[in-house]
Amino acid sequence: MPITDDMIIEATGELYSRSLRKVPEDAKAALAAAMETESNETARQTLKLQLKSAEMSENKDTFVCSDSGVPVYFVKVGSKAELACDFKASIRKGYEVLVETIEPPLLKHVTNPITLERGYHGKDMPIVSYDFESGADYVEMVCSPKALGSGRWAALELFTFPTLEQIETYILDVAIKAGAQHCPPVLMGVGIGGTFDHCAGLAKKQTLRPIGEKNPDPVLAEMEARLTKAINGLGFGPMGTGGDTTVLGVHVDFSSGHGFTPVAVCFNCWINRRARVRIWGDGRMEWSE
Amino acid sequence: MSVTEHDLTLPLSQEAAQKLKLGDFVYLTGEIFATAGLPTHDRLLKCLEGAEPLPFDMSGSALFHLGSLNEEAEDGTLSIVYMNPTTSTRFNAHMPRLIPGLGLRATGGKGGLDATCARAMAESGCVYLSFLGGGAPIITAGIRKVTGIGWPEMISHYRIARIEVERLGPLTVGIDARGNSIYDRTSKASLEKRAAILEGMRAERDSFEA
Repeated sequence: MPITDDMIIEATGELYSRSLRKVPEDAKAALAAAMETESNETARQTLKLQLKSAEMSENKDTFVCSDSGVPVYFVKVGSKAELACDFKASIRKGYEVLVETIEPPLLKHVTNPITLERGYHGKDMPIVSYDFESGADYVEMVCSPKALGSGRWAALELFTFPTLEQIETYILDVAIKAGAQHCPPVLMGVGIGGTFDHCAGLAKKQTLRPIGEKNPDPVLAEMEARLTKAINGLGFGPMGTGGDTTVLGVHVDFSSGHGFTPVAVCFNCWINRRARVRIWGDGRMEWSE
Repeated sequence: MSVTEHDLTLPLSQEAAQKLKLGDFVYLTGEIFATAGLPTHDRLLKCLEGAEPLPFDMSGSALFHLGSLNEEAEDGTLSIVYMNPTTSTRFNAHMPRLIPGLGLRATGGKGGLDATCARAMAESGCVYLSFLGGGAPIITAGIRKVTGIGWPEMISHYRIARIEVERLGPLTVGIDARGNSIYDRTSKASLEKRAAILEGMRAERDSFEA
């Protein structure tokens, strides 16, 4: 049986709704772990408050943050998945249905950058990236909505044949510039190499990886640990009011490229909005975070 | 060690504001104003220049950078469904004139304000209180009643909501009434630590590569 428009419409709305209400378990575990090591008492109490907010939003079935951001989706189509749907149209429809029916209603955050008019809809909304997955008999969709709070501090620089030291210095400097602004403790995603466009996507995808899972590449694993320690040494702390916990983790990946090497850095606020689903043609939907 | 907590009633007296120290927790009871709009801040400045009257008398009040879904029912009943802070540094250019112009005793949101704002706060005896970003359920629970919506023709989070709150918080003192700022301190400290942190990273890279 093929995957239908109705399934995609349902998944699009439900993913967004879930991402606004539920802080992923790995993010909660990382916040709880940070409470054990944090030496600043105001910071410890702020981490505790973040966990309380996560618990209250789950219990009350409401949003953790008032800013629902803009809808961002990543789609992977399995090579063995059978499709009988207009994917792009169904995602647009799913988002339209969500805006009309979600409780509580969303605020109008979709902004026309030319006129600054705000509404629920706009050109190129939702933002969707498509990819394929060899051998899979399902479609996987991830929703990771993005708002100004943490979104505006992302950065990308182009280097020529940079050393590891130059790359890491740049990443540290992006963290210093973001400072107290992005609702820390954040998860940092870093992309190195490829091309301008590819590198930005690579950085964003690192923020979708589970927090606390060790990078299988030993060089990258070492780099992630080194950057985490370095950035937490800066002292910004939870919500930027001081402390040892500015990042919950730094996730790094690279792509081969030419001698011009882009380095992209982006942030997820402490909520780490992220919802995932796998869809099979027989109607099964497997939800995860 | 514990965090010092203050239960305060609004409007905040000059004396009460002066007692607050960086990193303290504050709970507020009384009336606050809330908006998250950049156009709203532009419009408030124009009010001070005489373009139109302010929607409310805001002297001595607390104006916070909070976005809310507010609703007015057909019978005129006002309500707020959820409320949460927005990034205060977006209003760095406005606050040095708004703080003395409106006579604010407290402001706040998330992420702090810059050094120019902190100086204006010291001159006016105004404090900055940090709300928990992603704290909508906690912050919304502090709302007792909505007593007015200014500029209802704007979209929800751009309007100015006048709200009665009860033990709203905890909020963290980020800039005190003397202009001392956690944000300024941590920012300067991070730049001072930068060289040593980079040196530490270099040593770790060398030992890993060896």
